Amino acid sequence: MAISLNKGGNVNLSKEAPNLENVLIGLGWDARATDGQAFDLDASVFMVKSDGKVPNDSHFIFYNQLKSPDGSVEHTGDNLTGDGEGDDESVQVTLSRVPAEIQRLVIVVTIHDADARRQNFGQVSNAFVRIVNRDNHQEVVRFDLSEDYSTETAMIFGEIYRHGGDWKFRAVGQGYAGGLRALALQHGVNVG
Amino acid sequence: MNLLRGQRAKIADLVPTGQRLTLGVAIDAPGLILDFACFGLDAQGQLSDERYMTFFNQPSSPCGGVRLDAPLGDQAGFAIDLARLPPSIVRLTITAALDGTGTMSRIGRGHVRVMDGSREAARFAFSGADFAEERALMLLELYRKDRIWRICALGQGFNGGLAALVAHFGGTVATEISAPPPPSPPKPSPAVNLNKITLEKRGNSISLQKEPHTAHGEILINLKWRSVSGAKKGFLSGLIGNNRTDLDVGCLYELMNGEKSAVQALGNTFGNYTSPPYIALDADDRTGLSASGENLRINGQHWEQIRRVLIYAFIYEGAPNWAEAEARITLKMPGQPEIEVRLDSHRNDRPMCAIALLENQGGAVKITKLVDYHRGHLDMDQAHHWGLEWVRGSKD
Repeated sequence: MAISLNKGGNVNLSKEAPNLENVLIGLGWDARATDGQAFDLDASVFMVKSDGKVPNDSHFIFYNQLKSPDGSVEHTGDNLTGDGEGDDESVQVTLSRVPAEIQRLVIVVTIHDADARRQNFGQVSNAFVRIVNRDNHQEVVRFDLSEDYSTETAMIFGEIYRHGGDWKFRAVGQGYAGGLRALALQHGVNVG
Repeated sequence: MNLLRGQRAKIADLVPTGQRLTLGVAIDAPGLILDFACFGLDAQGQLSDERYMTFFNQPSSPCGGVRLDAPLGDQAGFAIDLARLPPSIVRLTITAALDGTGTMSRIGRGHVRVMDGSREAARFAFSGADFAEERALMLLELYRKDRIWRICALGQGFNGGLAALVAHFGGTVATEISAPPPPSPPKPSPAVNLNKITLEKRGNSISLQKEPHTAHGEILINLKWRSVSGAKKGFLSGLIGNNRTDLDVGCLYELMNGEKSAVQALGNTFGNYTSPPYIALDADDRTGLSASGENLRINGQHWEQIRRVLIYAFIYEGAPNWAEAEARITLKMPGQPEIEVRLDSHRNDRPMCAIALLENQGGAVKITKLVDYHRGHLDMDQAHHWGLEWVRGSKD
């Protein structure tokens, strides 16, 4: 039975799923049912050190850079419409291969071209992030963001972080203005 | 509190009771006809009980938790008491749909606001720039999540208009079947039909904007109806009368100088086109067989001297049977689409029907469809606060 977290809550993944190694971060949302501009949402992961910054730009995993140099984090691709059952986008993580200097994997979702399309997260429905054990396909934890939407255009859904020798997951649900660019700058990425 | 599109809040943070509030809607939309409704939806977002669509034809939900009530200054509104809603209703969506031509990109400024008594607790403002080809909008919704009622500013819609909106809520819209044309008059040309605006529902209003410094042309109000004589010939009908229906068109008017009276065949007050009241009735069709029907003409050259005109139809002779009379009123103005009103809300116990109110709004002609039925002139006069004295009259 998966744990359902509220905003700010956390869970110890290593205790809930002993020997957790191959992780799937599943992200989902519902596309708008109404007419008007379509929504294009993108998932990204920042692999950051204890100072909250990426060691270098190759630790920013997004639609133009789908895999980290060490192979520990891999984005499985962009879904342009959000249609279909289950996850709209997913990221695979091999925990044992995450470099020791990486303290946290920050999971963010941004709305592409949000300002021009006059879109924000308040208009997205049924968004969630879930952590699945890929070895037995069991969902370990889920965070439903539907009541933590903001009118901002970028949102940290959650983060996987080291705690002692364990891995934990925190439900963040924090929105930011400025889209992916602002979040990338905040996490130490050199945005061109 | 100003709500942005997509913004959510808890009702209890806006309204102390957390349960009783009024939602007011106003949209500045010259030349467009808007219908407002409140859809009460189940957990699947579906209108599983059609009695929970609150609008002009259904002014209250069965539980009384939603009823039509516009705050002062708004065009439409809904008084909400969340505590009275059944548990199956978890979402109330306020919608606006265009009746007739146009798209939501053509609207001016608009808002939905949350009123706590006379205090405005929150406002979601929008304008035509927020929309494109949409013809129906979901403006705002109240919804219950984890036992807490919340509000969300939606501002999203459907190009397919009301039908697409209703389909989104799991319903269907019956295809409109037009009534058969009256047998005697010639069929109007298709070109006219294409431009025709049918004011189907009570309370719809449009404003025929007046260009600065140009007078209106002739406003022609035409009544056509079908004689129902011979429908039933029997002993009883012979006792009651000759079983012939005579339908009259007429109007109450009020001029800017305060003069008030009526123009109608009854009492031989046919009016005058070239001098006050600048309204004239040109014929009295007593059989319903005249191809041209009865025409009431308002001289638009003198519209600035007219404050308001209440157009009505009256069954002078014969048992009231609006359904069989198939009465149709058309309003024509030069350079404007023809407006048609069918007397389709049948009240056969009432021989009088107030059809439309024409008001002078800064020189423009504002037309509001009424279609309310009355026992007679006095009733109608009182309902519309005209203040004339009425005596019984008859045609010889």
